Amino acid sequence: MMNRANSTKTTKPWRPSLWWRSWLARRLPPSKQVTLAHKSIFILPTGFGLLWISLILLLFILGTNYQNNLIIGLSFLLVSLFNTCIIYSYKNLAGLSLSSSSPPQAYAGDTLIFPIKLSSKQVQFEVLLSYANNQVNVLKVIKEEPQVSLLQFNNLSRGRMFPGRLKIESRYPLGLCRAWSHIDLDNQLIVFASPIESQSELSSLATDDISHTLDRGIHVQGVDEFKGLRQHIPGESLKQVAWKQLAQGRGMLSKEFQQPQGQPLWLTLDNLTSPDIEERISKLTWSIDKLSERGHIFGLVIGQHKIPPADGEGHRIVCQQSIALLPEREEQIK
Amino acid sequence: MKPSQQQEIISRHSLLWLLIINAVILLPLYDKLTPWTMAICGICLVWRYGIFMGKVAKPPRVLVTSLALASALTLALVTSKIGLLNGLINLLILGYSLKYIETRDRRDVRIVVIVGYILIAITLLGQQSFYFSTLLIVIAAINTCVLVSLYREDVKLYETARIGFILIIQSLPLAALLFLVFPRLPPLWLMPQMKTAQTGLSDEVSFGEIGRLTRSAALAFRVKFDGTPPSNHQLYWRALVLEDYDGQTWTQNESIKTSEANNLASSSMPAATGPWLNYSVIAQKSNQHWLFGLDVAFSDTADIIQLPDYRLYSTKSLTQTFRYSVKSFPSVPMDITLTDNVRNINLRLPELSNPRTHKLAKSFAGRYPNPVKRLNAMMNYFTEQAYFYTLTPPPVGPQQIDDFLLENKAGFCVHYASALTVMARASGIPARMVTGYQGGEWNKQAQYFSIYQYMAHAWVEVWLENRGWIRLDPTSMIAPERILEGFDGYFQGGDSYFIDSPFSTLRLRDYPLLNELRQTLASIDFYWSVWVLGFDSNKQEQVLHKLLGKITTEKLAFFMLSSLALIMLVIAYSAGLLRFSPDKDKISSAYLRVCRLLDKKGVSRRLEQGPIDFCHSVESQLPVIAKDFSLLTQYYIALKYRTLTPSGRKSTTKLFIRLSRQLQLKLIRL
Repeated sequence: MMNRANSTKTTKPWRPSLWWRSWLARRLPPSKQVTLAHKSIFILPTGFGLLWISLILLLFILGTNYQNNLIIGLSFLLVSLFNTCIIYSYKNLAGLSLSSSSPPQAYAGDTLIFPIKLSSKQVQFEVLLSYANNQVNVLKVIKEEPQVSLLQFNNLSRGRMFPGRLKIESRYPLGLCRAWSHIDLDNQLIVFASPIESQSELSSLATDDISHTLDRGIHVQGVDEFKGLRQHIPGESLKQVAWKQLAQGRGMLSKEFQQPQGQPLWLTLDNLTSPDIEERISKLTWSIDKLSERGHIFGLVIGQHKIPPADGEGHRIVCQQSIALLPEREEQIK
Repeated sequence: MKPSQQQEIISRHSLLWLLIINAVILLPLYDKLTPWTMAICGICLVWRYGIFMGKVAKPPRVLVTSLALASALTLALVTSKIGLLNGLINLLILGYSLKYIETRDRRDVRIVVIVGYILIAITLLGQQSFYFSTLLIVIAAINTCVLVSLYREDVKLYETARIGFILIIQSLPLAALLFLVFPRLPPLWLMPQMKTAQTGLSDEVSFGEIGRLTRSAALAFRVKFDGTPPSNHQLYWRALVLEDYDGQTWTQNESIKTSEANNLASSSMPAATGPWLNYSVIAQKSNQHWLFGLDVAFSDTADIIQLPDYRLYSTKSLTQTFRYSVKSFPSVPMDITLTDNVRNINLRLPELSNPRTHKLAKSFAGRYPNPVKRLNAMMNYFTEQAYFYTLTPPPVGPQQIDDFLLENKAGFCVHYASALTVMARASGIPARMVTGYQGGEWNKQAQYFSIYQYMAHAWVEVWLENRGWIRLDPTSMIAPERILEGFDGYFQGGDSYFIDSPFSTLRLRDYPLLNELRQTLASIDFYWSVWVLGFDSNKQEQVLHKLLGKITTEKLAFFMLSSLALIMLVIAYSAGLLRFSPDKDKISSAYLRVCRLLDKKGVSRRLEQGPIDFCHSVESQLPVIAKDFSLLTQYYIALKYRTLTPSGRKSTTKLFIRLSRQLQLKLIRL
């Protein structure tokens, strides 16, 4: 449903909605940063707006039947107020800048979070943000200073996810008109498979020929390799202070070093078409997390594809993404 | 997807606005509420205040429902008494209050606001003066603020009010345009009318009657004359002709009443000849049918007929301010010939009443056989004897005229008119009593007459051979100032019309400056009545013709669209949408303009060229302007890179701009 490539294949939308989608795609193409303007803002009356119009008709008939110019005038004032509201609802979205930043990692089944940064030159009130069929975020005030709204997106499957078009909505000032826009902020997220705990996977590794290195395929504190910088703790040896960074004005930092111990682990995923592939992927996801958490060095073999052993957060993400992006089995798609 | 439930719950800020709006919408409707309705509205308001203060919880649904049922039932029972329209209005008000008390989410608030607008419209059914209408626009703006408060929760009251009022003010021009252009339609169907007390003159007059009116400072009607208005003593506004007398009360004759009831216009009207007066009358609502006119009056306004006694009569009761135009012919006689039936009616007197008056009349008849001389003698009788004009006459016994004419010798217009009519009839001259208003207060600013209730008057019409009905006013004999200068020339307001209306603005008449102000305010209200309340299809055509010349559909559409576009632009601009950012750096832009022109002449400035460098290349390629351009460059560099004193900067800028303009001209000519 959310997969852009599959959308036309998986669901068969009726023609007008297809037309609408392609028209939107032409009019408002995906972009990381969007500023709303007349091209991207649509305005239509709300249900209350329609009720308002019937109120106007009622008052006009009342005024005409009683030949009362003041009641007719009141109905004209309400017509005019409606007209003024159209301008104001446009103003409440015009100039609103939205940009997407990279969303945090998530596993299948989690609610995905897409951070959207918003700012506006003119103050805007009560703007609603949502992805289709998801929770609505209400922003009471949007000012020039950017603010970030975390948009939720319910998702069950793994792989590359496009949240689709973001709906931006406002009924300010009187709730008569709804100004809205559907914009594609070109944001995506590779959702990791949902992890399933499997001690067996780890223990089967342990019984392998590399079992003796299991507790040694790990980095420990040491002096061989530069690991990174961390906050300097007063009293620490001045030898470890990163003077260069201090000179750059980044504060007192200490250099940390580590050294590898033992042989790396290899995690493997073969026979990609077997029926229990999803379960195995889930278990592998869990194992990768577990190993990374413990600081192990490990490599990954998926079919013909090989990821050389390494450790750290970057490596974990690469591994998780490559198994998350494995194609789903045909029958599941159908 | 719908916004979450949490989102729809209303804030305390909105609750405060709801409290305000409930009070301001219901207050102007006070005169339409039954005591029952008033009590329930009061309870709802107090309860709502309790909820706002956090003292009480929301009322249980059962209570609200049973209250609604009970009040609807009570209303159904009293509807026959208060009238259908009033019953419906009360029902709506009750619904408003009960909905208001259980308001929980935004949807409820929106319904309360919608009903609020309907209630404002209903208020306008009864009250239409300029100042009241302005007040109601303010109330409409407050009602709008309630909607704004739904979207602005944590701000001050003032901020919400500011937005609501700005919205209304920005909406006024388009509303005015629509009011001007939108065609007026006739009533689509018949609506129930308001059942309210009738005000002004009544169709029967006894000795106490006009005295009651002289205590009222309320406006009765206003008159605008085309051309010079007649003087005060000619302003006898005929409203009712009373021909039947039972010894106590004067009433209309049955035949006239039948004509009124069946809307039968008089079939034989005299040909209108001689000088005439054109004027328009704006009658305040009276819930009566009779209108006001001078002498033999004709009106071409719809729904007005002329009765056989030469009065103007509206076929609809005046439930709101009503404007009509009149043409009066003072010299056209009324009824040159009198049918026997009418003659008998106007000679009839109750048996065995007022014997002493009859005797007096007989003696007049004996002494003056000529009717004209006899009437003159009767009129003079009031000046010869010690008669006294007063609004508080002594009480009279069963023989009213005798007691007044021969004992008390003190009374006001009704007394004198009654006495003269009875004497004339007793002496064989057909006579009748006419009531209406006499005089008027002249408003200098807007050039119109205001006629107040206290100017109510009664006089006599007698019928003479070859002359028809002639007006005789005995009051003018006793109190000529009353007629020449009007009521206020003879009486002090404190004795009469301020008794019942102690806060009337007429009190300001004693202070010249404040009186001026009062007159100004009154004239604004007059224009309001003429141009807004009385804005009908005739007036509309008149105004559009003045604006556009000959009215065609295309012209009207063009006018409408262009005004709409203009109004939208102004609103958008004032809302802060169209900000044309002016080029702040006028020095750079002037220099760049010159550079662009130079570029067209073939001397283009390369990216890496600074001003001096560029100046050199200009000097070599266009020696004609070399001197000017090098000076311009010097100024430019000075303004851009040198620190100058404020005055030096100012003068240099001036020189620079002037030189740049000259240079541009030279370059264009080149």
